[in-house]
Amino acid sequence: MKLLYSVNNIWTYVIILAFGVIGLLLIFPLFNIFLSSFIDNESGVLTFQNYIDILGRRYYRTAIYNSVVVGVAGMIGALVIGIPLAYFTSRFHIIGKSLITTLAILALVSPPFIGAYAWITMLGSNGWLRHILENVGISIPTIYGPLGIILVFSLKFYPFVFLLTAGALSTINVSLEDAADNLGCSPFSKFIRVTLPLVFPAVSAGALLAFVLSLADFGTPSIIGRNYRVLSTLAYNLYTSEMGGNPGLASTVSIILICISLIFVYFQRNLIKKKDYGSSLIRRPEVKKLKQAYSIPVHFLCYFLVILSSIPSIVVIFNSFRNTSGPVFKPGFGLDSYRRIIGDVPEAILNSFLFSIASVLMVVVLGTLIGYVIARKPSVLTGFLDSMIMIPYIVPGIVLGLGLIVTYNSKPFVLVGTPLIIILAIFIRRLPYSVRSSASILKQIRTGVEEAAINLGTIPSKAFLKITLPLMMPGVIAGALMAFVTAINELSSSIILYVGGTVTMPVRIYLSVLDGEFGTAAALSSILLITTGLAVYGVLLISESKENVFV
Amino acid sequence: MSSVQLINIVKNYGQVKALNDVNLDINSGELFTLLGPSGCGKTTLLRTIAGFHKQDSGTIKIDGSEIDDLPAYRRDTGMVFQDYAIFPHLSVGDNVGFGLRNKNVPPKEIKDRVAEALETVRLSGLENRLPNELSGGQQQRVGLARALVIQPKVLLMDEPLSNLDAKLRIELREDIREIQKKLKTTTIYVTHDQEEALVISDRICIMNSGEVSQVDTPWTVYKNPEKYFVASFVGSMNFVKWPRQSWLKNNPLSLKEISLSSKGVVLDPNKENIIAGVRPEDISLTSEPIDKDHQNIVMSGIIEKISFSGREAFFHILLEEEVRLLVNVSRPDELSLKEIGETINLVFPKNALMFFDEKSGSRC
Repeated sequence: MKLLYSVNNIWTYVIILAFGVIGLLLIFPLFNIFLSSFIDNESGVLTFQNYIDILGRRYYRTAIYNSVVVGVAGMIGALVIGIPLAYFTSRFHIIGKSLITTLAILALVSPPFIGAYAWITMLGSNGWLRHILENVGISIPTIYGPLGIILVFSLKFYPFVFLLTAGALSTINVSLEDAADNLGCSPFSKFIRVTLPLVFPAVSAGALLAFVLSLADFGTPSIIGRNYRVLSTLAYNLYTSEMGGNPGLASTVSIILICISLIFVYFQRNLIKKKDYGSSLIRRPEVKKLKQAYSIPVHFLCYFLVILSSIPSIVVIFNSFRNTSGPVFKPGFGLDSYRRIIGDVPEAILNSFLFSIASVLMVVVLGTLIGYVIARKPSVLTGFLDSMIMIPYIVPGIVLGLGLIVTYNSKPFVLVGTPLIIILAIFIRRLPYSVRSSASILKQIRTGVEEAAINLGTIPSKAFLKITLPLMMPGVIAGALMAFVTAINELSSSIILYVGGTVTMPVRIYLSVLDGEFGTAAALSSILLITTGLAVYGVLLISESKENVFV
Repeated sequence: MSSVQLINIVKNYGQVKALNDVNLDINSGELFTLLGPSGCGKTTLLRTIAGFHKQDSGTIKIDGSEIDDLPAYRRDTGMVFQDYAIFPHLSVGDNVGFGLRNKNVPPKEIKDRVAEALETVRLSGLENRLPNELSGGQQQRVGLARALVIQPKVLLMDEPLSNLDAKLRIELREDIREIQKKLKTTTIYVTHDQEEALVISDRICIMNSGEVSQVDTPWTVYKNPEKYFVASFVGSMNFVKWPRQSWLKNNPLSLKEISLSSKGVVLDPNKENIIAGVRPEDISLTSEPIDKDHQNIVMSGIIEKISFSGREAFFHILLEEEVRLLVNVSRPDELSLKEIGETINLVFPKNALMFFDEKSGSRC
């Protein structure tokens, strides 16, 4: 009996630890940002002036407007690419379907700033593709500015729409489509009036992800946007400005960023309210053969889209082997760029791996435990924990970075400038993914098996370790690999938190691109891409359902 | 009101013959049931008529004109689905009006016809409800209204009651029967439930392994099955094998106390083993001794098991080693004191016996 009590306490400790971590690394920093958004930079008194400035001055208002424009346009682009791809691959025999999915997943996990940088080397003012096109008489608008940002966002975030929608399309009750057919609906009108509304919850979830991540992204607008101001770059510039930063204004911008995200989350939640079309009576759609006449155009479209989204990765790896001098690519190939990064910035590579592994270990251990209490010990407290854990989804990395700096730059907790603060930032940002994935794995494992072990005389903590944990293991490992992928590609919080000694690969790439060191950037990006690709390959090996792991 | 002809319909799934040369004439205005076990091809046939997949060969005609090349959405059939297939994102009214909107019927008329259809299925006033607020039975009524409101040439019903509980099933099948009689819409109804088929149909087509076994009225199908399969699938039946050597030598059917000769039953000497069958409800049980006569077959056996279900009881009688008969007693009162192990007399009229050729399954 006594044993049972102490075992129950283990989960109590987990809950306390979870609230502690969220409180210290998330709530408190965000609260400080919130507070600082009401504090005047010079006098230090409470004021609404920051908000009046941001909302009143045209300079700042443009940033809000621009952020929403590229966010919404990126979302629309993701929908336009993702929905047809999802429909064709889930309903018809497409040759190389798993290749298409894999390419989309790779596009999803590779960092967006690499995409931005790759498109510049292709279509920037000095880009090779631009030269080729100009030589054949095609001139295209400049890639810099909103169009470039939207292009990168669309090609980067469409896999969310694609994977979620494909999942929904293949679990729809196909009798509904048959019924529409039977009632005289033409195929196109059937898709618009029946199929699309049925998968709307999945489509809108994908769209929301695309929007929120577009809004939060720092690297893309910063690299390809040139003078196009968005909120994330504005917050960064306000904080790090040469003429003395303005933390108050930067905080206000952060709060506005979070508010916009919240509005869209709320909007989407409202749209899908009462739209749970799950039913126990389900006839799964069959995968049909395409009619001869449609086969070639459909295959062409699918491959065109995924290859377009993979082009940045291919180009970056290709570039890494080219000889360079600053921003100019020279004829000939070699390993110069790799030699240079190993000579000049070995600490960036080392740091990236160390920080990522450290944060992933923390994420996996705590994420699995919190996932367990949320899934298996439902109470008011764990329900609250469940909703708290979702906060990092809508907090841009830049904002979290600012919060941590504001909070931990003075005694007794001086963390600024240490590797720990970067690790903690990555940790708290990735925690929700791990919690959610372990909770969803647990929902698929029947509680009966653990109860059976207890019934046969195993103490509960041992039952968890011996029965449930091994069953969770494949999912946990897949989750860990995914956390590693996102950790090693993290830019937006690290860019705020790094100091000379704690520079990471994404930060180094970003700085190299700005400095016009395209060779260094390409070689570092290639290392990131290869690492990411290997991790994704590992995930594909151990997990059955692709969509659930990646989205 | 339309007639449907199915001519030499063949449909294969790889090696499996889902439909093997099906020929059927469905009369205008009748309720025609396709009955058979799962995998017999009945649903495949219905979905072929609806146009969801195309037959490999053969022709389907509605009112004499071929519809083989029409896609599903232009066949003008109304289908009721096993899983209801009610659009969850549309209100009841929009569900019912869905087909009319495809035909560009003016909104005012749609409204009236939807109201009328809902009245027919006894769901008046529920236009604005969402499907998830309805019970399964109500959803299927919406499904029926939605199929009927377009005034289809043929109404196709694919096991419409199989997802409902027993009580609702009976209630709704009576309603379907009544509505169909009133509207006289030619209806093809698929079910695996023989009782449902017998109650609801004008004619029943019994299918087995992609082939038509028998097409007849419910009464004929039950009382006069043409095939062993029909006799075994519709209702229950006692079968006793009568080996070839035995009946050729005029030996008695290998039951201890039956002295049934092959006289009176015309048996083709080319036939192999014969299977004799008698329905459980044709046999009577009594403890009184009975005289043998030429009309009836009399024997005795030991009660092995009694299953009492209220309005009726089933007695399992052991006649001899490994030969058992099931007897259905509809008013079991007088036998209530019988116990397992007691000996009892069985009697049934000779003409209740049916004979089937074991090899071909045909009646002989």
